[in-house]
Amino acid sequence: MPARPKRYAMVVDSKKCINCKACVVACRAENSVPLAYSRNWLNEETRGVWPKLMAASHPEQCHQCDHPACVRVCPTGASHHRPDGIVVVNEADCVGCRYCMIACPYNARFFREDKGVVEKCDFCVKRLDRGQLPACVETCPSKVRVFGDLNDPESKLAELLNNREYRVKKPEAGTGPQIYYLI
Amino acid sequence: MKTMEWGFLIVNYLFLGGLSAGLFFVSALATFLYKIDEPSPYTRIARLGALLAPWPVMIGCVLLIFDLGRWYRFYKLFLHLRLVSPMSIGSWLLILFTLVSLVNCYAWLTENQRSTLFAKLPRGLAFFSKFNYDIDHWRRRLALAGLPTSVGVGIYTGVLLGAVQSRPFWNTNLVAQLFLFSAFSTGCAALILGLSGRETSAQELRLLYGLDICFMVLEFFIVLPYLIHGELSVQAVQDSLKLVLGGPFTILFWVFFLGLGLLTPLVIELRELVPVIVSNREFHYNRLLAASTALLILGGGFLLRYIFVFAGQMSAMQ
Repeated sequence: MPARPKRYAMVVDSKKCINCKACVVACRAENSVPLAYSRNWLNEETRGVWPKLMAASHPEQCHQCDHPACVRVCPTGASHHRPDGIVVVNEADCVGCRYCMIACPYNARFFREDKGVVEKCDFCVKRLDRGQLPACVETCPSKVRVFGDLNDPESKLAELLNNREYRVKKPEAGTGPQIYYLI
Repeated sequence: MKTMEWGFLIVNYLFLGGLSAGLFFVSALATFLYKIDEPSPYTRIARLGALLAPWPVMIGCVLLIFDLGRWYRFYKLFLHLRLVSPMSIGSWLLILFTLVSLVNCYAWLTENQRSTLFAKLPRGLAFFSKFNYDIDHWRRRLALAGLPTSVGVGIYTGVLLGAVQSRPFWNTNLVAQLFLFSAFSTGCAALILGLSGRETSAQELRLLYGLDICFMVLEFFIVLPYLIHGELSVQAVQDSLKLVLGGPFTILFWVFFLGLGLLTPLVIELRELVPVIVSNREFHYNRLLAASTALLILGGGFLLRYIFVFAGQMSAMQ
């Protein structure tokens, strides 16, 4: 039987997030992201009035969509979909038109002025190809992020998605995002 | 992470691309009305349009190239053709349109102008004089060949924005039509302005005013459903329309674009043309009025692009 193709995705359990930003630092170190930019970040949310106050932080990054708007609009094909579902930017082909940044509903991309190209989270493909986990997943002290293959029913990711309720962000954009937030 | 990625270079490029498309379109229409062996009242419109058409789009393309991350990487756009990307189709369309409009511009040069042009060539390029052909008889064919590309360029500037699903201010099919008719209208206005410095015949102005009125009426009746339909659409679109309905672009949109840039010139041109058509009165041509009307239209066309480029980027799904 041929091996089932992989479809990488991520589950995020925001309730476990302690807003330590280790994921942001790890990503920056792993991918040599300059200080002015970030491939991942935390959306901080506060509700209510003191003393009845709720604070939460939601990790955010590229949603590695199934039907990515950025890939569709890219004039050179620099932004493309790998067979395992990860959306990557081939720097050699990127002309820096920034159409993809405008098309992304999650504002997950940024423009590197120094290189003249667009960058984004790519689930640390270099690490994945070496058999390692993405830097943000590995470094998270409270295990907020679970990374895995959607097509592997034995994975922790599949187990969580089968047993827990979850939501995706901006489903109305129609891009099929693959970051699942547990409720 | 949200930034304003497209700025003034893109606004200017969209305006100049549309202006060229309009100039070529009106020139091509005038070419079809012009009979080769008979003197025609429309020859000057066709000639002026053809001579002016290639330059704005070429300036626009230079602006576009300098907007890229690294200007010298622009050639990579032409190593690929991606039919799902409006920008890829647009890049090829721009090249095609610019080439056709350049050849068409050459075809409209008089013999004297051609000789002067080739005489000015530096000595190293003297062999180009061999190309001093008279291609006047190609004018109609070139107009016909360039017509679809000019419509393409006019539509494409709107499709470029309209194709972005995540920007509710843009994501409607009306934007492409709005930009197309605005482009044609600015082309007409540029010709009215260009002819206003010379002796102009009533027939020439009747054609230009008539076409311009058609384009502006179409533009107006696209702006209306754009607003009405937007207000009846989902919350994200309603929120994005607040940018022009009480938000930072309100005065610019209603007073300067719709009022001064569209309705005022429309009323002036109707006031000039309707008595001529209805009561068969003589066309009373006021050079200053015609030039100011044309300037208002050009300003309106520019503002439309300005508002759409910036407001569109400010709109987002919640």
